[in-house]
Amino acid sequence: MSYILAKSKNEDILKAGECGGAVTSIFKYLLDEGIVDGVLALSPHDDVYDGIPTFVTNSEDLINTAGSYHCAPTMIGDLIQKYFADKKVAVAVKPCDIRSIDELIKRHKINPDNIYTVGLNCGGTVSPVSGRKMIDLFYEASPDDVISEEIDKGQFIIELADGSEEAVKIHDLEKEGYGRRNNCQRCDVKIPRKANIACGNWGAEDGWTFIEINDDKGQKLIDGAKKAGILETKSPNEAAIEGRAKVEKIMIKMSKKNQEATYPLVNEVEEWNRCIGCYACRDVCPICWCYKNCELSKSYFKDDIIASPMPIAFQGVRLSHMSFSCVDCGQCDDVCPMDIPVSLVFDKLQKKYQNRTGYLAGVSDDIKPPLYSPDKVEL
Amino acid sequence: MFEIKHTLCPSCSVGCGINVILDNDEVVGTFPYKRHPVNEGKNCLNGRNSVERFNDKIGSDIDLDKAIMEISKEINDSDKVTVLLSGNNSLEEASAIKSFSDENNFNIAFYADDLGNFEDVASYNDVENASNVLIIGDILCENPLVGRRIVHAKQNNAKIFSNIKAEKSVTANISDEVSSSSVGEFLDKYSNLDDSSVIVFNTVDSAEDLDKIRNSGLKVLPVYSKPNTKGVLSIVEDNSKDELIEVLNDTDVLLVVNDNIVDEIDFDFKSISKIISLSAFENDTTKISDIVIPIKSWLEYDGSFVNAMGDTQNFSGVLESDVSSVFEIFEKINN
Repeated sequence: MSYILAKSKNEDILKAGECGGAVTSIFKYLLDEGIVDGVLALSPHDDVYDGIPTFVTNSEDLINTAGSYHCAPTMIGDLIQKYFADKKVAVAVKPCDIRSIDELIKRHKINPDNIYTVGLNCGGTVSPVSGRKMIDLFYEASPDDVISEEIDKGQFIIELADGSEEAVKIHDLEKEGYGRRNNCQRCDVKIPRKANIACGNWGAEDGWTFIEINDDKGQKLIDGAKKAGILETKSPNEAAIEGRAKVEKIMIKMSKKNQEATYPLVNEVEEWNRCIGCYACRDVCPICWCYKNCELSKSYFKDDIIASPMPIAFQGVRLSHMSFSCVDCGQCDDVCPMDIPVSLVFDKLQKKYQNRTGYLAGVSDDIKPPLYSPDKVEL
Repeated sequence: MFEIKHTLCPSCSVGCGINVILDNDEVVGTFPYKRHPVNEGKNCLNGRNSVERFNDKIGSDIDLDKAIMEISKEINDSDKVTVLLSGNNSLEEASAIKSFSDENNFNIAFYADDLGNFEDVASYNDVENASNVLIIGDILCENPLVGRRIVHAKQNNAKIFSNIKAEKSVTANISDEVSSSSVGEFLDKYSNLDDSSVIVFNTVDSAEDLDKIRNSGLKVLPVYSKPNTKGVLSIVEDNSKDELIEVLNDTDVLLVVNDNIVDEIDFDFKSISKIISLSAFENDTTKISDIVIPIKSWLEYDGSFVNAMGDTQNFSGVLESDVSSVFEIFEKINN
């Protein structure tokens, strides 16, 4: 593992990109050199709140994916597994994205040789509709006038077309029930260290991207982009490295506090009582890969469809799969029509499992979770 | 080429957004449309399935000119032609169908789930902020994204009273009081609620219940089973089930536009000489039809639906298609 500061040598990317444009430049290098078939990244559809996964095959189109989209809480892992299994793909990943990819690699559903993962440090994401309402309520500006947003130094910052900015402390927003998604508030994996590289502005000088190089593949990415003349780099000083570590530490501390505050509050049975058995949580889950062949879809698992499923026959089975695998991406919460805090239940159990075994889904280096490991059968 | 495109869910009248995943111009799945103000990325199973069944479309391998000639002959030879509009038709289609019907002096019929037409309806925010919610029907199971607003109302301390005939239901699970009495008795029981109360319903027992709902003085939200029933009601008057049966009893040629009326009413359709269906998908009505013309589905054209709370929502086609639209079919028939 090593650290560098990097900056794009392409003027357009430098202007459009977030803090130095290194991510977009690395993608351009991979596409232009024919190393990948395409880049899977977010681009805005209707507005900045509407980031949509887009497969870019022409590097000239990459400019549309530059910048950050905190109001687009998407998941990439299952898309790669379902639609890009036979392609060489470069992908921008948040920590929960790379955690899901890592779990899918363990399940032999993604070939790690086929993907290049460019990690994005993540302080959390905001649901788009709630985000717009939040801006409407707590900012002077109209949500329609926002051209970009950023989470930095504990604040949610919006930028307007005239270049002006407004910022409100995330703590104040979350106290009022807005701000980051609930799973993001308790997420304690802020830097995607399972990605080939992890990029962000924590510790970076203005106009530069701070990059943590996590493996040999990551080093080759940086070396290749430099050799191609699209990226320049320099070493960060000790203060920058320490500053970045401090930001990560503070954010993890806040997350632990949120975990302690929220885990005891959930009443699983009461929440499941309004489950309509639509399986949206299962279908969106990046870890639940068997989908069409899922046993839960078999007739012997079907309850009376007009009542909530028997917990043991649905949530029980899901829990038995997810308690060691949940990466707390919150997609299940996002899609549940009944607003059941599914990820809270799963994440709470994942943490119990982690405390007993040391295994953290999508982060630990074990090849398989301990329950599958012959040398830990005593569990 | 992998693409994700926005559209509207056609599975009921709530008006949810849904993202369609296309791979080389084939529909391969759905993706949460989190930016959509109605459902914020949440879709029920019916909604997700509605997109995934796209690949079961009726094939376009018919001799269209021959079929059009047959239809023209049938409708010209009869003076008892009925055109059946549907809540599945977009606003633009419904207007064109009505014009076609009027120009040719055909009967026009439209079934709106026996829920009637209410000019002023409650918004979804009204439901969330209600002091009391009267539910008629299993809304949480059948229209979950309105059901979600009722869950929010409960979290905001509203009282939830439901009238559901089934012994068990998710709607009952979240209700403070559950009744299986007649809808009329249920409405009588709660006739003194304050005016921030809302009635949400997707079924009634009789037309008298609709009168009681109208006279309740409360905000009301009828939730129809089709995406544009509310919009079509602004173009034609609806027929009750009994009225529709009366119309069908006096029909020799029935032209069904994108509907599955066979599954909705108990009627001997064999008594009609000719049934002609324009439909994107096979259903029980196309199965008994004498002539079936494949048409574009909502994924293949631009249009607009009016959702249950009265908002007009535009949608764009996500796929190119060589299949004829409703407009093209009617133009050909007229020519």
